Amino acid sequence: MSFQLHVWGPAFGLDSIDAECLAAIAAFRHIFHHYDWSLIASNDTSLSPDRTLPALFHDDTWISGYMNIISYAIHHNTSYAGSLADNDLTPQQEADLLAYSSLLSTRGSGLVALSLYASPNAWVELTRPAYSALLPFPLTWTIPITMRAAAIEKAESLGIGYLAAEAEADEAASKSGLETTSTGFLRLRQQLGPKKSMQPEQTAAIRFKQLADDFFATLDDLRGSKKYLLGTSSPSSLDFLTYGYLALMNVQTPFPILAQSLRCRPLIQFLRMIETEPQSYVLPRQESKPRGLPGTIYVFADGAIESIAGAGESWRRWRHGGIKSDEGEEIQDSSQTPVAVGSAVLGLVVVGAAIFLRGLSPFGASTHRFAVPKEETGLYRFGEVGAMLDILPIFE
Amino acid sequence: MSSTADKSKARPQQPQESSGWFTIPAPLARLFKKFPLLTYPPNELPARSPDIRNVPTLYVFISDEDALKGLPSFNPSCLKWQVSTAYLETGRGLVHRTNPTSQTFLKLAGVDFCLRSSNNHASPTGALPFLLPPSTPSDPKSQRPIPSNKLEQYGLDNGKSKLPESLGARIEAYESLIDHRIRNAWLYTLYLSPTNTKLLSNLYIVPATSSRPVRATILYQLKHAAELEILKSTSRDAINPADLYKGAKDAFRALETVLGDGEWFFGSPLPGLFDATVFSYTHLILHDGLAWENRRLNDILEEFPRLVSHRNRIFQRCWGSGE
Repeated sequence: MSFQLHVWGPAFGLDSIDAECLAAIAAFRHIFHHYDWSLIASNDTSLSPDRTLPALFHDDTWISGYMNIISYAIHHNTSYAGSLADNDLTPQQEADLLAYSSLLSTRGSGLVALSLYASPNAWVELTRPAYSALLPFPLTWTIPITMRAAAIEKAESLGIGYLAAEAEADEAASKSGLETTSTGFLRLRQQLGPKKSMQPEQTAAIRFKQLADDFFATLDDLRGSKKYLLGTSSPSSLDFLTYGYLALMNVQTPFPILAQSLRCRPLIQFLRMIETEPQSYVLPRQESKPRGLPGTIYVFADGAIESIAGAGESWRRWRHGGIKSDEGEEIQDSSQTPVAVGSAVLGLVVVGAAIFLRGLSPFGASTHRFAVPKEETGLYRFGEVGAMLDILPIFE
Repeated sequence: MSSTADKSKARPQQPQESSGWFTIPAPLARLFKKFPLLTYPPNELPARSPDIRNVPTLYVFISDEDALKGLPSFNPSCLKWQVSTAYLETGRGLVHRTNPTSQTFLKLAGVDFCLRSSNNHASPTGALPFLLPPSTPSDPKSQRPIPSNKLEQYGLDNGKSKLPESLGARIEAYESLIDHRIRNAWLYTLYLSPTNTKLLSNLYIVPATSSRPVRATILYQLKHAAELEILKSTSRDAINPADLYKGAKDAFRALETVLGDGEWFFGSPLPGLFDATVFSYTHLILHDGLAWENRRLNDILEEFPRLVSHRNRIFQRCWGSGE
C-alpha cells in the first residue's frame, strides 16, 4: 500500500505554499523511493478528519501534521531510500528536536504569517494570486480570506500581532491612489511626516527585523559549524522542517525584510545546501480527484457562512466540533446547537433589519406622500355638508 | 432665487453622501458633534489607595487572604512574575523567607514588594500581572504601572542583581515548549475539562460576583477564551485533549532532559527567569491546595522526578519550609 501525501499546491516557485507541506515533501523525497509514495496537491483541508494539511493517507487511515506524519512514516516504512536521523538521537538531541520544532511552528510560522499574509502588499501581489491559482473558482472568495484571518491571529497570539494591526489599519491609506475632495478637486496626499508617507511594512520594519534576527540567531546558534542542525550525520526531521520555513521566508515579497535578514546569516548556506541536494527522482505527483460541483458549492457555502460576522464562529464550532470528547470525560455539548442556530437567526434578522432600514427614507428628511386623489362621488362633491347628508340613503 | 441656487449646489453632493451603507443620518451627526457636553476633572483616588507608595506593588490573581500571607498566586503567568520579582528585587537570587506575622509584605532582602489581589479589569493592558513602582506625587513617570511584558526590563533596570546573562539562544526554543505545549494542556485541564469546572469557578468566578447569571456568563466567556487560545496555538479546528496531553508529556520529557542533573536550568548557578517559568506551571500542577478533579496533568508530571524536585527547590527558596 503506497503512501499518499496530500498537500497544498505549489507557489512562489516552491513545491508548496505551506511550510509544513514543503517540509513533508522534502522529507518524503529523502526517505522514500519514488515508487513508494505519491504526492497529491489536493488543496482540500476537508479530506482529513483534522481538517489540516499536510495529511498522509495510508491503510485507510489519515495522519495529519508534519511531526505525526514523519513518525508514522518511519514506523511503517520498510525500505528506506535515505535514512533519517530521528531514530538514533541522544536524549539531549531529542529534547532539542522537540524544542526547536516547537519554536519553528510558533515563532517561525508567526514570522511567515507576518511577511506573506499580514503585510497588505505581499498579500495582494503574491499570496492571494497564489491561492487563486490553486483553488477552483468560487472558493477563491472564501478560503484565502479565512487563511489570512487565521494567519493574522496566529501572529497576534505570538505577541507580534500589533505589526499586523498596523498593517491592517494603514491598508486603506496605502492603497488609495487619487482621491477627490467633495468639491471635485484632487486631494493632496497628506505629507505630515515620514510616517504618513511610508508603507505599513516600512513602519513595522524595525521591530519586525529585530524579531527576524533573533529567530535566525537562535537557529544559527544551534547549528554552529555543523552540517545538520542537530549535528547528526544524516538529516533529521528538524532539518526538513527548518527548510520548509526558511524557504518561505526567503520568498521575495514587496518588502523583503525577512529575506534580507536571512541573507546576511550563515543559515542561508543551510537553506542552499538542502535546496541543492541532488534529487534522485522527480516528485511522484498525482492529479487530485476533482471536487465536483456539489462539493465545491458545499465548501463555498460553508466558508460563506463562517464569514458572517457574529454567527460564523458558532457555526464553525458546531460544524467541526469544538472539543473532541476525551476518554472518561463527557463533554456537555448540548448548549452549542441552540447557540449556533440562535446566532444564525440573529445574523439573518440583523441583515434583514439593515435592508429594511435602507428602504426607509433618510432619517430627518421631510416625508412626501403621493396618493391618487380619491374620486369624489355622491354627495361628497358638496364638501362637509354633503358628507353629513351622505348617510341618508335617499339620494343615491 | 437664492434658495434654488443653494439647492443646485447641494445636489451633486447628495448621491455621494447617501451612497454608503453606514453614513450617519444628518441630525444624529449634528447631535454627536455636540459631545462631550462637559468634561469632568479626573476623579480623586479612592481613599484606600496610599498616596505615597514606597514599595512596589504587584497585582496578581490571588485570594485576599493569600495575598496578605504572600502565598503563591494560582495563575501561571502571575506566579512566574511573583517568583521573579522576588528574585529581581533582591541581591541574593530567590533567597528570602516570608515572615507570616509581618503579613502583607514579602520581606525580601532589604526590598519589600507588596502583593495585591486584582483582576483583569484593573490592569491597564487588560492582563495581569502588573506592577506599580514606588512613586512620589511629584514624579509623574513613577505613577505609571508596568505591564507584564515590561517587567523584565524593569527588573534589569531597578533590581539590585542582574539576571544571569543570557544563557544561550536555546532558552528561547525551550520557552516556546512551555508557552505552547504545556500552556495548552494547562488551559485545557483548568478551563475546559468538565470535571475541573468547580475548581475554575472557585478560583476565578466566585470571588468576582455573587450573581448567578453573571457567573454563568463569565464562566462561558472564560471557557470560550481558553478554547480560542488553544485553537489559535494549535491551528486546528477542534481540540483533541489526547493530543494536548501527549504534547505536554513530550515537553516535560524534553525539559527534564535539559535540566539533567543540574540544580537549575541550563547549568546556571542561580535560578533565573526560565526556572521561574517552569516553576509557575509545575508548582500549580502539583499544588495540593488546588482541588484538581482531573489529575491527568498531575500524573504526567509525577513521571518526571527531576522536575518535581526542581519545583520543590524553588518552593523551598521562596516560601520556606514547604507545604
